[in-house]
Amino acid sequence: MFHAFFRSTLPVLPLLLVLSPVNSSSCAMENKTTEIHVKYENILIHDINELVNISAQNRDRCCRNKNHKNIKVFFCNDTQEIESLQSMACNMLRFFHKQRISKAFRWKAAFVSCGTLQVLKCKCEGHRKEKVCPHVNVFGKEDTETGEQSRKKCNQEVCELKENISSLRSCWNKFEKIISR
Amino acid sequence: MHRKGDSSFSFHLAPSSQPLFSGKKSTSWLAVSKTTAFCGNTAPLYPWTSWAAGKVSFMCGNSQSAARLLHCVTLQLRKAWLWLFPAPAVLAEVKCVLFNEEYMNCTWGSRETLKANYSLYYWYRNTSNKVECKHYWQDQDIRVGCYFNQNEIIQFQPFHVLLKASMGGSTLEISKRMELQDLVKPDAPVNLTIHNMSNNQLQLTWATTYPKAKCLEHAVKYKSNKDTDWMEISVNGDVFSLPSVDYKKFYTFYVRSKVNKYCGRTQLWSEWSVPVVWGSNSTSKGTVHWLWIHTVLIPIASCLILLVLVILLVRMERVWVILMPRIPNPSKNFDELFITHNGNFQEWAGVPKDVVESFKPNYSENICYVSELPPKDSYEPLWESSNPPPSVMPSASPAPGEHSPYKNSYGRV
Repeated sequence: MFHAFFRSTLPVLPLLLVLSPVNSSSCAMENKTTEIHVKYENILIHDINELVNISAQNRDRCCRNKNHKNIKVFFCNDTQEIESLQSMACNMLRFFHKQRISKAFRWKAAFVSCGTLQVLKCKCEGHRKEKVCPHVNVFGKEDTETGEQSRKKCNQEVCELKENISSLRSCWNKFEKIISR
Repeated sequence: MHRKGDSSFSFHLAPSSQPLFSGKKSTSWLAVSKTTAFCGNTAPLYPWTSWAAGKVSFMCGNSQSAARLLHCVTLQLRKAWLWLFPAPAVLAEVKCVLFNEEYMNCTWGSRETLKANYSLYYWYRNTSNKVECKHYWQDQDIRVGCYFNQNEIIQFQPFHVLLKASMGGSTLEISKRMELQDLVKPDAPVNLTIHNMSNNQLQLTWATTYPKAKCLEHAVKYKSNKDTDWMEISVNGDVFSLPSVDYKKFYTFYVRSKVNKYCGRTQLWSEWSVPVVWGSNSTSKGTVHWLWIHTVLIPIASCLILLVLVILLVRMERVWVILMPRIPNPSKNFDELFITHNGNFQEWAGVPKDVVESFKPNYSENICYVSELPPKDSYEPLWESSNPPPSVMPSASPAPGEHSPYKNSYGRV
């Protein structure tokens, strides 16, 4: 009887492995590149450019220091641009609560992350998007500090965020280049 | 100036607008030294020592960019004068340009500015995967750049370069991180074509050799033969329309391209394309012809005519007389006066002699008394007997001028 039990249940395990989604993307806009293209060119690109300008205002020299060089770099993998963008955007949401980063900077970064996830219709692990984006989308552009006040001392988190923004922008450029045919 | 011990001292300059030294803080610098001694402005007391190389560490300026490194001089003898030798730059900034996404050139200077042996290494993801440049650009045995073919180029990944400069046994390094998609310079557009549309409208189209035409933005520059300045218009697509053109004018068009903001952040425009022209050929030729007439033919013709006239004037008296008529000379009419009458105007004019003499200051004229004899027939004179008939008796000496024949005339004045 036990032999019969194992004979019947054993093939199920490999079947589950085969049927389980491998690296399944949680983004719903995989094949809708035209719609992504329109939203990126008309809306998202402007916010990304503003975020890049804010990032440039933060001192870049300190991040060339050896102490701040060991930062995780995100790559925009070939044929996996949407997944790479999702990964970058979700990672950027981590910085929303980092008090060592100026408020204007992290709010704008979160705004761009949420915009990216919204355009691509992606989700993040741990429901990070649902926790952060309603705040950012509702309150929009908060009254932020002036440019001079927003420049805080250089730290590891600022360098990581700057690197993340640079990777996100490059990946969007790459994706736009691919879909603009 | 800082003293370090008794055997040597080093220096550093105060920050200035143009620091002589720039580099990272606490970088190990290559320093060479020479020593000599002076007393005021006299000749050096000791000859120069030979160069000696050694590594020193010191603060140099405030700049933290590794754009240029200079050799500094640290004097070893306490009493030696401080001399600065801003030696030629050892390193310069690495600049890369990706030409139409087909090949890339990274350069770091020229023969005039570089004096060391250079080696370039690059990698994308992993520092351990450093690869040395396979094709160096050389300028008289000095490496001044590196050529990358298409297989060695990966966009949208951080591109790292490490430039090593070795000189005199020591090595200096400079590293840089770049995004290659931000360094793309497309080729100039080709096949510019003009189409005549309705309503006096022109349409300009072109093609590009760039692989992603949708990622380009363009700029069109045009001018007519009547305009002085160029008009530059930004165009997103690959079509440019010019409304209401003048058929009498002659237009010239240029186009150039750049990767747009959606596909990169490059600021590098391509070169201007080969121009295309539109307009009536006669107008253009007529303009040139008219200009030639104005500037060459008319001045030459004018000079020739003037020259001919001058020659005619000089050689042909008849022409001269017509142009410059003689001034009448009435002297011939007076030949009789001067020759026959010896300049005696009164004689020549036929003035009576007595009139001539009357003009003389000592002229005196005998008065000629005239009396009237009574007629033979007796009739009473007109006046009464009581009144004696006036007789006209010649006086002895009339008052001068009283009976002058010209008195009446004077009195009548």
